[in-house]
Amino acid sequence: MAQHQAPVGIVANPASGRDVRRLVARASAFPVSEKCHMITRLLAALAATGVTRVLAMPDRGGITERLRRAIATQGPHDGWPQVEFVEMPIEDGPADTLRAVELMVAAGVAAIVVLGGDGTHRLAASACGETPIMALSTGTNNVFPEIREATIAGIATGLVATGRVDATRASRRNKVLRVEVDGQQTDLAVVDAAISNHRWIGSKALWHPELLSQLFVTFAESDALGLSSIAGLLCPVSRRAAHGLRIDLLPPERAAVTLKAPIAPGLMASVGIAGVCEIRPSEPQSIHSGSGVIALDGEREIEFRPQQRVAIRLGLDGPLTIDTEEVMTQAARDGLLVSRHA
Amino acid sequence: MQLSRADLLKAYRTMKMIREFEERLHIEFAAGEVPGFVHLYAGEEAVATGVCMHLDDRDKITSTHRGHGHCLAKGCDVDGMMAEIFGKTNGLCAGKGGSMHIADLSKGMLGANGIVGGGPPLACGAALAAKKLGTGGVAVSFVGDGGANQGTTLESLNLAAIWSLPCIFVIENNGYAESTSCKYAGACHDFADRASGFNMPGVTVDGHDFFAVHEVTGEAVRRARMGNGPTLIECKVNRYYGHFEGDAQTYRARDEVKTIRETRDCIANFEKKATSSGMLAASELQETSREVLAQIDDAVAKAKAAARPGAADLLTHVYVSY
Repeated sequence: MAQHQAPVGIVANPASGRDVRRLVARASAFPVSEKCHMITRLLAALAATGVTRVLAMPDRGGITERLRRAIATQGPHDGWPQVEFVEMPIEDGPADTLRAVELMVAAGVAAIVVLGGDGTHRLAASACGETPIMALSTGTNNVFPEIREATIAGIATGLVATGRVDATRASRRNKVLRVEVDGQQTDLAVVDAAISNHRWIGSKALWHPELLSQLFVTFAESDALGLSSIAGLLCPVSRRAAHGLRIDLLPPERAAVTLKAPIAPGLMASVGIAGVCEIRPSEPQSIHSGSGVIALDGEREIEFRPQQRVAIRLGLDGPLTIDTEEVMTQAARDGLLVSRHA
Repeated sequence: MQLSRADLLKAYRTMKMIREFEERLHIEFAAGEVPGFVHLYAGEEAVATGVCMHLDDRDKITSTHRGHGHCLAKGCDVDGMMAEIFGKTNGLCAGKGGSMHIADLSKGMLGANGIVGGGPPLACGAALAAKKLGTGGVAVSFVGDGGANQGTTLESLNLAAIWSLPCIFVIENNGYAESTSCKYAGACHDFADRASGFNMPGVTVDGHDFFAVHEVTGEAVRRARMGNGPTLIECKVNRYYGHFEGDAQTYRARDEVKTIRETRDCIANFEKKATSSGMLAASELQETSREVLAQIDDAVAKAKAAARPGAADLLTHVYVSY
C-alpha cells in the first residue's frame, strides 16, 4: 500500500437542499442526517484505501454534532480515519465553506470532498487552488457535482489521495465564469451566471425566468437541470470545450423563439430566446442592464446598481475535480483493491 | 413580487416600530412600570414584518408569548398595545391580558399565548373556518423552536396537511427554548426537515433578512390561497434579549448578542439595501424613525396616565363573543 499520508478534507454544507425551491418547485429535501450518513460512508471507503486522517469543516448546523456521535459509536472493525475538525470561527454562512477550504489547502490535504449543491461547489472552487475536489451532490439544481454514492466517491478520493492512480488522468480541469464589478473580480461561477431584473437577493433561488435578461454558461448538457438547461437544450457545450455560451433572453410573450426548459426540479418554464453566441476565454462580456442581480450557479448573489460596471469573463483555469469513472476504471484495470493470499 | 417604494416604507416603519416598542419596554420594565412578564421580540422584526405584509383583514394569526412583534405587524393599535402591556383599562384587552395574552380579534390577531405550542391548533381552526366559509383567508401560526417540539404543533402539522388547510407554520427558531439550546432539544436539527414527514413543503430562510422572508412567505400565502395546502417555513433568527426580561442569559456566549447586533441586524441591513438601491432616501428613513419614536413616547405617556382595572371589572370580559 502506498505510504502517502496527506489528509483528505471533507466540506459538507449543512444548509444545502432546504431553500425555497421546496415550495416553488418540487425539489426534494436533503436532511442533515443523510449528509452525515454520506460522510460515514465516505470514511469507511477512505479507510479501505489507506487514508488515515481527515480534516472536516466544523459547523453548527448539525453535521459536526452527528459526526462526532457516529465516530464515538463506530464499530470495533470500522477503523475509520482519524477525523479532526478544522479550527476556525463559524459564521453559519458561505464564509464557512470558503474558510474551511482555504485552511484545508494550507494544511496540505491531498483532495477535498465537497457535499453540497452547485452553490457550495462554487465557493469551494474559489478557494481550492490546485487541490482536486470530489464533487458530491446534496443540493437542488446540481449540474457541477455528481449524484453519486458516497462510498464510491470515497474509494476514488482515497485512491487519488494515496497516490495510487495517475493523478493527471484522474482529475479534470473545469471552466469558471469570473464576475467583475467596476473592474474588480468579486466572485465566480462554475456552471452559470444569470442577469436578473430582481432588485434584491432575497431568498436567492430563481424561479421567474421572465425576469432574466442574460445567461452565461461554462458548459451546458442537454440533460441538465437548472438554468444551464436553457443553453443545453439550444446548443450543448461540453465541460472540456474551450468556450462557453451566452444566451440573451426575453420575456416569452415578446420573443419570436421560446423554449421549455427544466429550470428547477419539477418546474418547466417557458423562456424567450433572443440570441445565442459562444464566448471565449478572457473576452469580457459587458452587462447592459441598469440594475439588477447576478445569480451565480442558480442563486442570486450580487446586487448591482446603474452606476456600476459589470462584466463576466470565461476562464479555462477553474478547479480540478476527480473523475470518479476514470479512477475506478484504473482501479479495476490495475487491481488496486485486489489482495492475493498465498 | 417586486416591492414598491410604498411597500418598503411600510416595512421599515413596521420593523422600526417593533424595535422601538421593545427597546422602550425593556427600559420601562426595568423601572418597574410594567406588571407581569414580558418577552421581547427585538432582533426578530424581519420575520413578523415579512410575513404579515402578505396578510389582509381576511387572515388570522396566532402568536407565542413573544408576541408584540406579531401584533404590531398585523396592524394592532400601538396605543392599545402599550396600554394593555401596562395593564390599563384602555388596553386592547382592557388591561386583563397583558403581554402574554394580548389579542385583537378585529385585526385577525387571535392572541399571544402563554402555552408553548398553543397557537398551531388555533391556526388550524382558523384555517378550517376560512376554507369552509370560502373567505380566501389564510391562517399563520408563529411558533418558537420550543413550541415546535410540542405535540400540539406536530398534530397541527398533520391536521393541516390531511385537510389541506390554508395554513402557514412559521417557526421562529431563535436558538433557545427559554434557556435550552435547540441543538440539545431537537432530534432533527432543522425544523424544515420535518415538513416532508407531513407531506408539505418545508423551507429554511434567514430570519434576519426581510427580503428573503417576504419572498418566501409570499409564495406560501399564494399557495395557501390557491387551495394547495399548508407550508412550513423555518426562520433562523436571534433574539436580542433574554427569554424574559430579567433573564441573566448565562446560557449564551458573552459576545453573542453584540456580534449579531453588529453584523446581522435586520433593520440595519434593510436600511443599507433600501438606500443603496436608490429606492429610499436616508432622509426618509430618518423621518420615519422620528415619527415612530414620537408615537412610542405618546403611547407610553397615555398608558401611564390611564387607569388600572378595578374590582368592579373582575367579572367582565370573562367570555368573548364571536
